[in-house]
Amino acid sequence: MKWLLMVFYYKLLMRPFLGIFVGVKLVNSENLGQSGPVIIVSNHNSHLDTMSLMAALPFNQLLRTHPVAAADYFGGSWLKRFISRWVLNAILIKRTREAGDLSPTDQLIQFIDKGHSLILFPEGSRGEPEEIQDFQKGIGAILHRRPQVPYIPVFMSGMGRILPKGETLLVPFDAYVVVGNSRNVQHEGVLEIVHEVKQAILAQREQYQHINKL
Amino acid sequence: MNYFLSNRFTENKEVLSIILVILGILIFATVLFFIMGRIYPGDKVRELQQRTKSWWIMASVFILATVLHPSISFVAFALLSFVALRELASISKNVRPEDRRVIIWCYLAIPVQYFLAYMGYFNLFIIFIPVIMFIWIPFVLVIRGFTVEIGRSMSVLPVQLMFTVFSISHLAYLLSLPELHGFNAGGRGLLLFVVFLTEMNDVFQFTWGKLLGKNKIIEKISPNKTWEGFIGGFITTIVVAYFIRFLTPFTAIESLFAGALIAFGGFIGDVIVSAIKRDIGLKDTGNLIPGHGGILDRIDSLAIAAPSFFYFVYNLYYA
Repeated sequence: MKWLLMVFYYKLLMRPFLGIFVGVKLVNSENLGQSGPVIIVSNHNSHLDTMSLMAALPFNQLLRTHPVAAADYFGGSWLKRFISRWVLNAILIKRTREAGDLSPTDQLIQFIDKGHSLILFPEGSRGEPEEIQDFQKGIGAILHRRPQVPYIPVFMSGMGRILPKGETLLVPFDAYVVVGNSRNVQHEGVLEIVHEVKQAILAQREQYQHINKL
Repeated sequence: MNYFLSNRFTENKEVLSIILVILGILIFATVLFFIMGRIYPGDKVRELQQRTKSWWIMASVFILATVLHPSISFVAFALLSFVALRELASISKNVRPEDRRVIIWCYLAIPVQYFLAYMGYFNLFIIFIPVIMFIWIPFVLVIRGFTVEIGRSMSVLPVQLMFTVFSISHLAYLLSLPELHGFNAGGRGLLLFVVFLTEMNDVFQFTWGKLLGKNKIIEKISPNKTWEGFIGGFITTIVVAYFIRFLTPFTAIESLFAGALIAFGGFIGDVIVSAIKRDIGLKDTGNLIPGHGGILDRIDSLAIAAPSFFYFVYNLYYA
């Protein structure tokens, strides 16, 4: 049921909408075809980031891939809760923890151990359009404990102009989603892993600039 | 089925024959580059093969959009304008981030302009963008209230509309022209004539330039363009125009003029887009069509050639 809803939403509505109307162009999206568990990491400028990645996933991965979102934002109203659960298939994590709560890292690792995949935006929030902020440590903590799980670096450009933070009006612009190969972490320390992942995303940015012959 | 096919198409020998010519050229190019690729394998031949493949797709889409029911053709051309405008607005660094919402007004001009073309409201059609939008866009910018460098946005945004919407909509308007007595090919014939010649002019200029090119024509903008390519393309285009004038109501002399106009207009459009790209440091405007850059790189020549040709034929036969 949920699968049908997601297929209808992402494949029949979002994919043509993003591709034809908005102008989102996927580069090397076949790299997303791998079955889980895998962690998709990307820079983050817009709500469209999640939409584009979900719409690019293969059919059989839709239910088994979860964007990671902040509970205080996406659990805010009943509408947001509905969307997070039925459309985004999101895992909500708490930014402020109370006593007895599972740590976000443990919460996410549970899903990975079940063979599910994650979509993670290590910048944490969408930030200013077209800028990459400092990365949070969460991605390092997860890959530190599960180094055998591959990650896929993704660089997105242009999303922050189409639908930036705080705007409600969507304006079509060309945007690119450059998907890298899946790979395993080379380092052990949490901070080194965070650095490595960031470099991998920046390498995709160079790939993008090469595509555009900048 | 008959509803979707234009009823004039099935009994239109002229249009049918030019479509066969286009398919013939594509088959010839495909076979030629396939053999060349076998004899001299390498990147250059692969690029030519890639380009031919893109031409197949573009030609098929274009032919389908022309021979189907006119309303489908109008939607197809409107979509073309939309994608081109989106591409131009996306690569342009002359527009401020505050202008995001104003660009919506530019997009909204597309359905209006194509509706005017579809209904054949000629007087409104020719002033809607160059007069009304040229006032409306600056006015909306003023209402938005960001005055720093507002003059640049006031000029860049309407010009983008001219280049991608006003120009291309003239192709669609060809389909709204009334029927002329004794001229069988109709608007579809004119449309195929101008698009076929503009694209062939690009190919001819490219080919002559590769074969004979020595003297750069406009080195700072387009280092690959040469006088030999330009003149070779110019002459070849005029000759082809003479031979396919059965698509038009033209006399022999008029067809030569039309060919010259298209070759010259195509060149102007090409170098204008090249200059815009050079300004922002891009070589190709996007990568929608493999080997061809973006949509803009394909319609740049049409952007000037189409209106030039339109007013030429309009003032001679329809005014």
